[in-house]
Amino acid sequence: MIDKQKITTAPQTQNGEKGQKTVKHNNSAGFSRLLVIWGLTLIVVGIGLGVTLLLIERSKLTVIPVAPPPLPTAANPSDTPPPPQEVNLFLLDATTLTLVPIKIERRLHTDDLTKRLDQVVTALIQETPPNFRNTIPRGTELNEAYIDNQQTAYLDFSSHLTDGHIGGTTAELLTVTAILKTVFDAFPDHIKQVQILINGEEIKTIAGHLNLSQPLQLPQ
Amino acid sequence: MLVLAITFKSTAQERAVRFIDAEGQTLAEIPAHHQNDQVYLPVDAVKQVIDPRATHQYNHPRKRLTLKTKGRQIRLQMGRSAISIEPDGQTLTLATPPITIAQQPMLPVDFFRQLLPILNNVEVIYNPNLNKLQIRSKNTWTPGETDNLQNWTIIIDPGHGGSDDGCTSSTGIFEKNIVLALAQQLQKRIKQQGIQVHLTREKDTNKTHFERIQIAEQNRGQLFLSLHCNTSFSPHEKGIRIYLNNPKGRIRFPSPTQPALIGQQLKVLAQVNFLKQSQDFAHALQTELNFLTETPIKTINLPLIALSEAYMPAVVLELGYLSNVEDLEKLSNAEYTENVVQAITRALQRYISSINQQTAPTAPEE
Ligand SMILES: [Zn+2]
Repeated sequence: MIDKQKITTAPQTQNGEKGQKTVKHNNSAGFSRLLVIWGLTLIVVGIGLGVTLLLIERSKLTVIPVAPPPLPTAANPSDTPPPPQEVNLFLLDATTLTLVPIKIERRLHTDDLTKRLDQVVTALIQETPPNFRNTIPRGTELNEAYIDNQQTAYLDFSSHLTDGHIGGTTAELLTVTAILKTVFDAFPDHIKQVQILINGEEIKTIAGHLNLSQPLQLPQ
Repeated sequence: MLVLAITFKSTAQERAVRFIDAEGQTLAEIPAHHQNDQVYLPVDAVKQVIDPRATHQYNHPRKRLTLKTKGRQIRLQMGRSAISIEPDGQTLTLATPPITIAQQPMLPVDFFRQLLPILNNVEVIYNPNLNKLQIRSKNTWTPGETDNLQNWTIIIDPGHGGSDDGCTSSTGIFEKNIVLALAQQLQKRIKQQGIQVHLTREKDTNKTHFERIQIAEQNRGQLFLSLHCNTSFSPHEKGIRIYLNNPKGRIRFPSPTQPALIGQQLKVLAQVNFLKQSQDFAHALQTELNFLTETPIKTINLPLIALSEAYMPAVVLELGYLSNVEDLEKLSNAEYTENVVQAITRALQRYISSINQQTAPTAPEE
């Protein structure tokens, strides 16, 4: 929550700086004109200050609903949101036909495990660098991610994971393995098994071959 | 000169004819000459694959070859398809006549295909696409075993069906149709062997996994073969794959820790009791189908929905990748699918006789 407040105030200061720059460019103008500009600038700065103070006040009282990251890149080191962390997404190398870890950087939630899981799986769905294939059908959405006290992660996908799947045991195994590898790699201490759900329901299979009716692990 | 020799050697090896035994082990690999789409082997190959003590005489001007082996004289005339075997007085017609290459007599592969069964009392099957010739002992069905065959019931499960197309090729061919056609072909062939066969679906209809297993159990199936086609994210991946239902495979179910899971876990474990027999059948399939493939077929262990709760040995056979052009072409070719059907039938025979051998000494007849 603290991070989000910092983010919302950051753009305000940037706007203020821009205003001052405009003044400097008009330096060569006449005296009366200069007075008017000074006056206007004072008003603008005043309003700016007021709004900033008001926002700070408000943010102390209430939680501002802000969409979670992707976050803007911070200009000021003291104002930074959580630093980007490396995440391995397991994608298919189209030439070797194997799943390989692809490093990406994401500003992950530091305090909320469930949100972090959501971020990692969403990244896996969305990222497809050139020369790699994503094994999750394009357009699949993650409805919800949840971790229970048995260290089982439940990943609830939209039905497109099934409807949009190309089928075949090989492809189905790659899809499931990519999800498992990515999750276990990112949460080695917190997640021991993963159960895949579709629209909140337990499923038997994605494409008619693998038995996904239980939480799954990978061989050690 | 050296370069020439190396190139020659490598091409000769590349196009060698491989003689293999029933288990797929190489018996001999003999460099062959390819001419007008035909494959020819030197006369010395007879010594390597038929009889090491064989001798031959070649009459250059008359282009006549006489082979002496196993108390017989085999006479061939270059350029002629007919050959005579004395003292049997037998005449055979080769599909391709022997020819001379660089003035040396050369024998077509068909010579070996036809002569090996006569001289060595073996069965021979030839795969012209891969230049593989398999030598196996003659079909060993004794009358006693044929009786046992009639007690066998095989369940063939054509995957998907109805609104579930399975995977689809870029040309619009559905997995559900390929596997149904092959299942029906297979049913016909296996029935000819006296084995009982039931299909889990006879038409293009939806069937749940549970319904399929029910059909298998109602018909007292002793073996469950689920037929599928594969798809990969890469168009290059190809070949046959065999899958075994194993909850401790490439992905695995956790060991039961919660009481709520135990009931479910027991069902899964019950199926594991058949894992050894399923592996035996997978191995039989692998051995027979390897004959049709360039690279050895892989068997992969996974928790499989199609086989879960099947209380009998069970295997998923993926016939090829619809995402691969070569595999798709093969699966659309009647000759190839017939070869697949034959190979599966031989695998069944192999499996059943191995089970009969295992049970024969210990189990008294009812
Ligand atoms: Zn299938």
